[in-house]
Amino acid sequence: MVEKLSIILGGAQGSGLETTIQILSTAFASSGNGFLADREYYSNIKGRHSYAHAKVSSVEIPRSIDSKIDLLGCMDAETLFTHFEDIVEGGYLIYDTSTGEKTQDSIKSIENPLRKRLEESFEEIGIDGTVSSLVEHLKEEKKVEVVELDYPSILEDIQKEFDISSSHASRYVSSILIGAVAGLMGLEEDVVKSGIERKFEGKEKITEQNMFLVNKVSEMVEREHGSPLKLEGSGLDEDELLMVNGNEITGMGKITAGMRFQSYYPITPAADESFFIEQHASFEDEGNVLVFQTEDELAAITSCIGAALTGTRSATATSGPGFALMVEGLGWAGINEVPIVITYYQRGGPSTGQPTRGSQDDLMNALYSSHGNFPRIVLVSGDHEEAFNDAVKAFNLAEKYQTPVIHLMDKFVANFVKTIPVPEMNEIEIDRGALFEGEDYRRFEGGPISERAFLGSEVMWYTGSEHDAEGNVSEDPMNRIKMHQKRMDKLKIAEEEMDERVIYFGPENVKNLIVGWGSVKGVVLDAMEEMDEDFGYLHFRCFSPFPSEEVTSYLGKSETVIAVEHSYSPRVSEVVSLNTGYQIEKEVVKFTGRPIYRDELIDSLGSIIEGSDREVLKHGP
Amino acid sequence: MAREYGTDNWIDWCPGCGDFGIVSSVYRAFSELELEPERTVVVSGIGCSGKMPHFIDVNGVHTLHGRAIPFATGIKMANPELGVVVNGGDGDLLGIGAGHFLALGRRNLDVLVMMHDNRVYGLTKGQASPTLPRDTKTKALNTPSIQDAVEPLALAITSGYTHVARSFAMDSDHLKEAIKDGIEHEGAAFLNILQPCVTYNDIHTSEYFNERIEKLEDWDAGSVDPPEAISKSRVQEEKIPLGLFYKDTETPTFEERIAGQLTDYLEKVPAEQDIEEDGKTILDKEAFRSKFDENLIKKEK
Repeated sequence: MVEKLSIILGGAQGSGLETTIQILSTAFASSGNGFLADREYYSNIKGRHSYAHAKVSSVEIPRSIDSKIDLLGCMDAETLFTHFEDIVEGGYLIYDTSTGEKTQDSIKSIENPLRKRLEESFEEIGIDGTVSSLVEHLKEEKKVEVVELDYPSILEDIQKEFDISSSHASRYVSSILIGAVAGLMGLEEDVVKSGIERKFEGKEKITEQNMFLVNKVSEMVEREHGSPLKLEGSGLDEDELLMVNGNEITGMGKITAGMRFQSYYPITPAADESFFIEQHASFEDEGNVLVFQTEDELAAITSCIGAALTGTRSATATSGPGFALMVEGLGWAGINEVPIVITYYQRGGPSTGQPTRGSQDDLMNALYSSHGNFPRIVLVSGDHEEAFNDAVKAFNLAEKYQTPVIHLMDKFVANFVKTIPVPEMNEIEIDRGALFEGEDYRRFEGGPISERAFLGSEVMWYTGSEHDAEGNVSEDPMNRIKMHQKRMDKLKIAEEEMDERVIYFGPENVKNLIVGWGSVKGVVLDAMEEMDEDFGYLHFRCFSPFPSEEVTSYLGKSETVIAVEHSYSPRVSEVVSLNTGYQIEKEVVKFTGRPIYRDELIDSLGSIIEGSDREVLKHGP
Repeated sequence: MAREYGTDNWIDWCPGCGDFGIVSSVYRAFSELELEPERTVVVSGIGCSGKMPHFIDVNGVHTLHGRAIPFATGIKMANPELGVVVNGGDGDLLGIGAGHFLALGRRNLDVLVMMHDNRVYGLTKGQASPTLPRDTKTKALNTPSIQDAVEPLALAITSGYTHVARSFAMDSDHLKEAIKDGIEHEGAAFLNILQPCVTYNDIHTSEYFNERIEKLEDWDAGSVDPPEAISKSRVQEEKIPLGLFYKDTETPTFEERIAGQLTDYLEKVPAEQDIEEDGKTILDKEAFRSKFDENLIKKEK
């Protein structure tokens, strides 16, 4: 019996792996366990290696994942070749014995650099490179307990049992893995069944056949191995949990905030958010959310601005390449003081870069893109709870200060699946800012924050050119000073009014201070708990307006300051330096696009304490 | 008394510019239709035509180069009760904004697009626009244009616009009627307005157009067949036909298509929905739980 488990389940993209993951994660959660999973996949629809890397816990909701795993479940041979090194000593492996003779040469989807690394590795450990030789090695040298299942013969059984075609039966391979995991973990039949029913809602036959297979495999596994990975205790206190990825929880936040228009152009890893909102577009009584797929990102942001001018809470969602096209619209919204929200999920760049992998390299892009100067608010979320709160807050701030808000996240938050408590809805405020009531409306009168009226209620003018209080073009120098000042002063007001732009975790006056933002939060906090030396973590929640005073008050006190970030060179250090003059000298970075793992971060912080200035993390296939 | 639609702003187009003809026809058309200024939005792009909103006393949104259509699309979709008219130049709509021009046709959103077509980029000193015929050398060009001209009406018809017409800036009566007809059409209407650029285009002058223009006998050519409409709209033997070449009242508008998918879209338009109650979200915990029940996992006892 254990409290926490690290698991990787892998297979070819499009081969049923997604089904396995969905059903198992539901089963884990309905057993009362906390769950966190990274999803890694190629920019590919079918065939390339894909996997979920999860942590399940009966005592808490996990905040980070470990590179070392207790259990590797393989749908195919490539999964074993890709992840075998990460199984802990005495860990567990589930694999298909019918792939025993396979070697990496026969698997075309393996990329050449990995092929080369495997060749070297196999030569070093002295095996012939077949799956079975590798399995033997793991058994003998790493004491791995191996669950050996002949997938084709199991599928043949189900084919006979239900008199179905072999191509139909092949779709059930996902349930073999589910059964094996359920057996090892001693999952109750009920919880697995609830996962399967949820996945195949209303399809009784499919549910029955999958359950048959799961039970059969699970019994086989339990007979031979017992349930050595059964989680201790009855799980968390919550009676119900929300299981969401970051795209979904952000969509929930936007709907909660009263967003009624979302435009988007398809792009990874943002499009799922719009798709999710569209699935939940209609309310019973309260109306609907219009989700609009545009011809490009130029139209996504400009239609979003158009909708916002009518008084509709409006947003768009994108990632770096899409944001690049949105920048002209961003400037227009800036000079016209239009409240829009841009949800920006970072992925690896530049250019197409690593479209399905994570990154935090776009902080400068979010903060400084666009010609000219205008106030913008940049919120950053580090986990699902923060993403929900920020999604609501973004609209309130946009309307209060009448300026674009960029809600910056990344692929990790977008795709990590997590169980979280259901949000407390009665605490959620909606602030629409200063609204006009009266006569003789002038859109940009007074200020710095003018009163808003909407197209349809008064007559008003907007222009991307510098303009006067009425919204007519003016190139008069004194008017320019007045209007430019008016806009920039809004950011000063926001700076005075906005709280919690940075959060500090840890004891006072620590020797080592970590500085970070976004999705490094969970792993940094978990790593800190394991360190012998004292550590604190300064976590940014907002980069514009920049919390200079608070940040300065923390930076001077610690002997060692370390930036941790998913980038080549920490953007957070550049931004801190620009705003405070303080130079953060040390850094832990990762730019492979894979998440930072708790164990590798602990190791790298150790090296920093011993004198290293820069640690580059590499783990993860 | 009929409403006046002029503003106090000094109109800074070149004396003799075709845009004067266009804006005065807009005043007359809006006045005859008695458009409510609060409920009407003129959206423009960049360039000489982009200045239009500042000279018309209705809501005006002077946007980015090429983007008038998507701005207008967002406005109209969020509040379909507003009347929305787009003004753009030939470069704006068919050069930098060509993708949006096509997309509006595909949607058949109820918007009128008025294209100010003088075949040059006036405000940047007379470069060739997408409607300037190949081998033409206006006085502003160093060398003749070596790019072919787009046929705006054919492009509009094949893109899906359901009301496609051509008029002339200097024929105020014809243009006024064309604008009114375009506004009253339910669906995406395209109006190509020929106009001289007195400063940079010394070839396609008022005289040039006057010699070649031939109005359809009736305003409406009555065509519901795209190939026939395209053929009738074409410049042939130096004659430029004016009038309405294509009209389709069968194809559903974008608003109707959305309403087919989104409950109560036209009854509760996005801009008019209540989103808060006493400063709080209208979604209480129970509503949230039932809306997102697919993500809710209950602990099995």
